[in-house]
Amino acid sequence: MRSRLIAAAAAVLVTLVAAPAYAIDHSKGRPGFCPTATGVTVVVDFQELGGTTIVRCFPSAARGTGLDALKGAGFQIAGVQRWGEGFICRVENRPSAVEIIPAQGKKNYRELCIDTPPGSAYWSYWHAGNNCPWVYSQWGVKNRDFIPGGFEGWSFSLNRTADTNPWPRIAAVRPGSTTGHCDAPVEPKPTSSNPNEQAPPRPNPPPRAGGDDDPEQPPAADDDPTAPAATSTTLPPPRPRASASPTAGNPALNAAYTGGEGAPDVNDVLREQSGASLLAAWVAGAAVLLLAAAAGWIAWRRNRARQA
Amino acid sequence: MFGTYFLPRDLHPAAWWVWALGLATAASRTTNPWLLGLIIAVACLVVVARRGEAPWALAFRLYLVLAGFIVTMRVVFRVIFGGAEGSTIILRLPEIPLPAWAAGIRLFGAVSAESVLGGFYDGLRLATMVVCLGAANALANPKRLLKAMPAALYEVGTAVTVALSVFPQLAESVQRVRQARKLRGGTGKGVRALRGIVIPVLADALDRSLLLAASMDSRGYGRAGVATTRARAATGALMVVGLLGVCVGVYATLDGSTPRYLATPVLVAGLAVAVAGFRAAGRRVHRSRYRPDRWQLAEVVVAASGVAVAVVMFGTSRVDPTNLNPSLITLSWPLLSWPPLLGVLAGVVPALLAPPPVLATPEEVPA
Repeated sequence: MRSRLIAAAAAVLVTLVAAPAYAIDHSKGRPGFCPTATGVTVVVDFQELGGTTIVRCFPSAARGTGLDALKGAGFQIAGVQRWGEGFICRVENRPSAVEIIPAQGKKNYRELCIDTPPGSAYWSYWHAGNNCPWVYSQWGVKNRDFIPGGFEGWSFSLNRTADTNPWPRIAAVRPGSTTGHCDAPVEPKPTSSNPNEQAPPRPNPPPRAGGDDDPEQPPAADDDPTAPAATSTTLPPPRPRASASPTAGNPALNAAYTGGEGAPDVNDVLREQSGASLLAAWVAGAAVLLLAAAAGWIAWRRNRARQA
Repeated sequence: MFGTYFLPRDLHPAAWWVWALGLATAASRTTNPWLLGLIIAVACLVVVARRGEAPWALAFRLYLVLAGFIVTMRVVFRVIFGGAEGSTIILRLPEIPLPAWAAGIRLFGAVSAESVLGGFYDGLRLATMVVCLGAANALANPKRLLKAMPAALYEVGTAVTVALSVFPQLAESVQRVRQARKLRGGTGKGVRALRGIVIPVLADALDRSLLLAASMDSRGYGRAGVATTRARAATGALMVVGLLGVCVGVYATLDGSTPRYLATPVLVAGLAVAVAGFRAAGRRVHRSRYRPDRWQLAEVVVAASGVAVAVVMFGTSRVDPTNLNPSLITLSWPLLSWPPLLGVLAGVVPALLAPPPVLATPEEVPA
């Protein structure tokens, strides 16, 4: 047990010293769309935050959750302190802690990643089968499996309602497969308010369930901590969203995107944003030691005076 | 004026409370372990340098133990209930399968460095605030704080002061009983020794409270004075209604979705009613003060140093909050910039510039 603890401490030390250096972890995933039906393509659209949309591929044949796909594609994410990675508040350090987000009803709002982000400024989570329209996920990122050969989308929703959440501006169509048709199954909605409920496993091969008239409902916030969009208690009746058309968007209308090859070093970005200095941390450590030593010395002197 | 500045005396307790609350406010704004560690070190140094020899001054160690307990519990809970956030797994414990009705709870399993660190940062913040309050309790004389209360709050203040001094008095009681046991040669350990300490301490606490009640009664606490029943009821109603109005007003001011007419108007009206109630209550309570504490230059220095720490932390969290809440995206040393560091160091001023406390055995005057 003792040697195990020492090994764990050593592992912490090693990882602290040799932290990954890039915003995009280039050792994971690959830039651009997935070329084949193996793996899942992850699209991150910053929308009003600004910045070029990033498309990367998580080439995994095994099943995995949406979180596995996002991290496996190499994106650097942060979860809120309250919910952990079940609720993603930053993708690629956006919105960063120094960015003022013009969210309605929040003056000078900054995302500090401590508590659930407001419904007016958060990362909305989408998914789609290949050649399918984007679908707002009814499930949390840890609670559903990605669609093999399909798409996972992250789109920043700023001052939108549950009906107007923006889907990623990249059509869910792998290059060279435009002639195919959508064959992704419709995911059932969560049946309980348990945030850890898992979506049932997908039958294989996936039958096309539901049909064209399957309306999308706004997500229920209390069902799922990762769907904060609808916080109002008086939800409008479900109605078909414009995006629920059965065909995918036109790839010719895709927004400009990169594979994230030129993304800057996330640690550099953080250091620059915070105005942090390496020396300050050393000074802080030294000051703690100095103050502790001074306290010890004073206590010792007072003790001696009392005994004398 | 400056000739008598460093003569040993007890500072106004409110000055110490302002200083400590300033540090605690600063701690509540950050989860940066450098800053929190520094705040704890500053509080410890000032307490060691400027506390007296009263029983409440000796209870500071208990607060440190409590702080350590808080941090440990946070980390342990992260390990027990799902510590697998993040990618750096440092420990793989066997996961205990739970029945379906306990879905949502995870026992043990993989533990990541990110989640352990997250628990540590969070626990350290709470622990630092506890240490700051402990510092205030160690430095400020609770009985003299009661003396400085406004007349209308006298009875509430009495209850609060009695409650606040329970912990330090228990500490002193335990110390006394242990010393007495040692003198009698009682060196037993374990359950027998515990019984030998707990029962005298409890008996002591009962004796003390009876004594306190008797002495308060004989000094006229709780007397109604010359006020009629109707006047007392009116005063009470004014104060309760006023405080309720203040609560509603503050809530509405802070919560953006409440109707605006509940915000400022209710707050102002509530304040006005409460002030009227306080004045009415204060008029019927006449208490003279024997040698009231004066607010002098040293008090200003101590209070200003605490306020400065809080102000700098608020300012920097508005300018660049990044390093006040270290990111755990990638494991790395928490970053730190100069302004909050220097701001926290301003809190150490009382250790040097506050007059020393009155001690029974004065230490040699430093050169």
